[in-house]
Amino acid sequence: MSYKLPDEKDLEAMIGIVGKEYATNNKAITASYLSKSVMGLESQIPDIVIRPKYVEEIRKILVYCTQEKIAVSPVSGGLSGGFACPTIKPGGVLLDLGRMKRIIEIDEENRFCIIEPGVTNGELWAYMHKYHPDWAPPIPDGAPPAATVMGDAIDRGFSLYTSSVGPQGDNFMCGEIVFPNGDVVRTGSWALPTAKPFYKYGLGPDMWSFLMGSQGSLGVITKAAVKIYPHPKFKTVVVWGMDNPYDMQNLTLEVAKQEFGISHHTVMVQGGNYPIVMARWPKDKIPHDYAFYKDIGISQWWMNWETWAQTQEELDYATNRIDKMAEDFKKRAKNPDAIIKQQLHPKQIASRMKKPNKIAIPYSFWEAGFLFITWYTPWPECAHFAEMYTKAMEKYGFPPVMWIASIERCRQAICMPIVCFDSRDPKNFEKVQELNRETTEYALKQGWLNYRPDPYIHVQAYYQAAMYWKYLRAFKKLVDPNMIMHPGRLALP
Amino acid sequence: MAKTGMKRLEELEKDIYKCIHCKACRSAYSGEPDREGIGEFAGKQGTVLYEGIVDACPAGIEYGWEAFWNAGKMWIARSILNGDLEFNEEVRDVILPCITCGQCSAQCENKIRTVDIIEALRAACMESGVPMIDKHELVDNLVKERNNPYGGAAAERLKWAKDAGLEKFINNKDAKIAYYVGCTASYRQVEVAIATAKLFEQLGMDFTLVDDEVCCGSPFFRIGAVGTAQELMRKNLEAFKNVKMVYFSCAGCYRTFTIDYPKWMSEDEKLPFKTQHAFELVARLIQQEKIKFKPNKELKGKVVTYHDPCHTGRHFAVDMEQEMIEKSSNLMIESRKIRDAIEEWYEVPRIILRKLEEDVGIEFKEMYRIKLNSMCCGAGGGVRAGYPEFSIKTASLRCDEANAVGADILTTECPFCWRNLSDANEQYEHGMVVMGVLQMITEYNLLDILQNPNEKDFLLPSIRENMEEILKEKPKK
Repeated sequence: MSYKLPDEKDLEAMIGIVGKEYATNNKAITASYLSKSVMGLESQIPDIVIRPKYVEEIRKILVYCTQEKIAVSPVSGGLSGGFACPTIKPGGVLLDLGRMKRIIEIDEENRFCIIEPGVTNGELWAYMHKYHPDWAPPIPDGAPPAATVMGDAIDRGFSLYTSSVGPQGDNFMCGEIVFPNGDVVRTGSWALPTAKPFYKYGLGPDMWSFLMGSQGSLGVITKAAVKIYPHPKFKTVVVWGMDNPYDMQNLTLEVAKQEFGISHHTVMVQGGNYPIVMARWPKDKIPHDYAFYKDIGISQWWMNWETWAQTQEELDYATNRIDKMAEDFKKRAKNPDAIIKQQLHPKQIASRMKKPNKIAIPYSFWEAGFLFITWYTPWPECAHFAEMYTKAMEKYGFPPVMWIASIERCRQAICMPIVCFDSRDPKNFEKVQELNRETTEYALKQGWLNYRPDPYIHVQAYYQAAMYWKYLRAFKKLVDPNMIMHPGRLALP
Repeated sequence: MAKTGMKRLEELEKDIYKCIHCKACRSAYSGEPDREGIGEFAGKQGTVLYEGIVDACPAGIEYGWEAFWNAGKMWIARSILNGDLEFNEEVRDVILPCITCGQCSAQCENKIRTVDIIEALRAACMESGVPMIDKHELVDNLVKERNNPYGGAAAERLKWAKDAGLEKFINNKDAKIAYYVGCTASYRQVEVAIATAKLFEQLGMDFTLVDDEVCCGSPFFRIGAVGTAQELMRKNLEAFKNVKMVYFSCAGCYRTFTIDYPKWMSEDEKLPFKTQHAFELVARLIQQEKIKFKPNKELKGKVVTYHDPCHTGRHFAVDMEQEMIEKSSNLMIESRKIRDAIEEWYEVPRIILRKLEEDVGIEFKEMYRIKLNSMCCGAGGGVRAGYPEFSIKTASLRCDEANAVGADILTTECPFCWRNLSDANEQYEHGMVVMGVLQMITEYNLLDILQNPNEKDFLLPSIRENMEEILKEKPKK
């Protein structure tokens, strides 16, 4: 596939669509969109950056780029702490969707909100906190305030209640997408012009699910209708510590299986190991030895259950049940003596429940840069993953930071090794790649899924899923005939 | 510290590489989504929802492109260091419209020294041969000819003192304390200079005004003209070398002497005097119960709000934090002490305002974005000279925020902030009075001395100097 490098004539065409103020090839401005961190280290400076505001502008841009075979990378905001799909070769056009930031509608009766791609977590939170305080803003948990609701969802991110109801994408009911072939499509019940966006499966097969995880590789999503849930006043966090990931895994699964019971109350179930705390501070300004963390009451591994309920009675019931189950679990634990309830100060509870938050950000404070290399595993295998990966991180000289969270009541685990390193040294990039290759080879054999395979990893996964990839590619060809959209982490094409 | 922009940029490489482009730096209260605010307000510059997290980067708000927000500039710096981008006018025109207010630095969880990086970028840009913009070149020429960027005659720098009957303090050779006035108070907001000097006189301070005083160099450090800035620095160090304490009434000058000068002096040099802002003295005397204020019918019931100048507020807070981080051996344990120290620093002007409320009868009301999260007035970083429309619009944004709390009087403690806010107040008809706190005390004759302070009181150091002791203390609960 060959692409055209945009030239002045192409810039003029873009200016003709959006206006002089919103299209540029200014080298300083294009360089400012670079990002080599958090989710990926491969990024290059785009040739042109455009800031459209209207659907029709996007349609014209995509049609033009399709005709001219110019690559396009859409960016809605910050994508979970960094530009997860930054421009890669062959460069081309970067669409900064930050001007599309309308909160179009919040419907409390039908329980959805309609947003544009540039709406950030911070904006939606502030707006709903003020005007719809009884409803939880449908923002991602763990993503910083400047990340967007849309970007997180199409990257298969988390919601505030993912551990109970499933990934954020499951909360998206209908959407509007502009495909590079020039078509503007509304999905689900919204396909009918007179209908509300109230049902994902309206009118036929759910096309929206095809877009989940697409990371902007199929078209530009310009609106989404997202479910909203009541925001109960009764909330708390329960934490149990242990000294190994297997006890963490197994206790959490036992609680998660209480479906139609307490596990529906546990909206965010996440944990990990003590280096999660250590690596948030500069490497030379924090003890590395576990003895210090033990002294301040941090277990080697732990699990948090953030619990929501409509009444105090329900909350007490749920948290007491978790405690009782943890006590009971000791009979089956690898090391029962290490299973301890962690007592949290009210300020610590408030801090853990704060959303949106900046918890994922300070891992750059350790040295100068970090990467999340994220995997999905079946929940009963996350401890195996954690054990394997932390050993590998130590082998390559990285602190063994491991974060694990439950999706849909432990049907899946999202396992996030946080690789902290000094990004000034190119040798560290090589070490990260080596770590990634070695662990990917092992992980794929176990049937685990790489969340965002890096370009040098793609082929390891996809050659094994050839038929699936064939159909993804066929759909992409249908909507993006000249393959101009960023390939995303799906390597399409 | 390195003495050229490019070397300084290289020294800051680790900070630059820490940036993960999370964009938390765009907003005030980026870590306080549930902060209760004052609701939506439709002001002269549009409607703002003052709740939770609110955008607060003036250049980003005005220009919109990623390059004008802080994270974009960090990646420009990285591209320069990597050789992916060269300095040219395009780069200059993107890195200059930044007020260097430091909001970004205050929000950054990775503690990146963003203001240092942007200033180093500017200096390196200039060193590479990219010409200054016309307006900056003008002020650079003016300061070289006249020792101030306003073009005022050098000989007239202390005219305000002579006109106000304060001549006896000019070149008062025996005094151990000096009052550094600064260019804005000397040539523009002379009310600040008069109010401060008269306050010192009323308190019985034996101080000197130094007629060899020249511009502190702040605008030139900010825009990257570090050669000019260092020349001015040398002149001031010479002019003030014989005093023990220098008081300031300008946040920018105070910051420049205290934070910038030591960075640009050689390794074995240190400031020959201590530094302090006049409001620190007033706050201390209130706490010692040596002064209070008289009731005043005209001010009684007036709603007064306070704008935290970036230079005395955020810049000092971030500088103190960086110094304490450097000294810390266990940052996880000591971070709370650092936060407490910063909170104590921000209380200094509020001690005065709350006392005014108690004694005079004003109603002190805080704006939404305050202290570490304060919204900039728009004047600094070379922007007022270089991009006056953007500068005044930013000041008007701030005036909107004061209008939102129903302020009759908008106070501050920096004549440059005062100038810009005052101009915006007038141009956009915000309908308030803008004045300095010390000006209010002097012009309304509010000072009531309960016990005459003495030289020892005047020579007590700033609370900033206590950092090592703060780290040794147990954290407050």
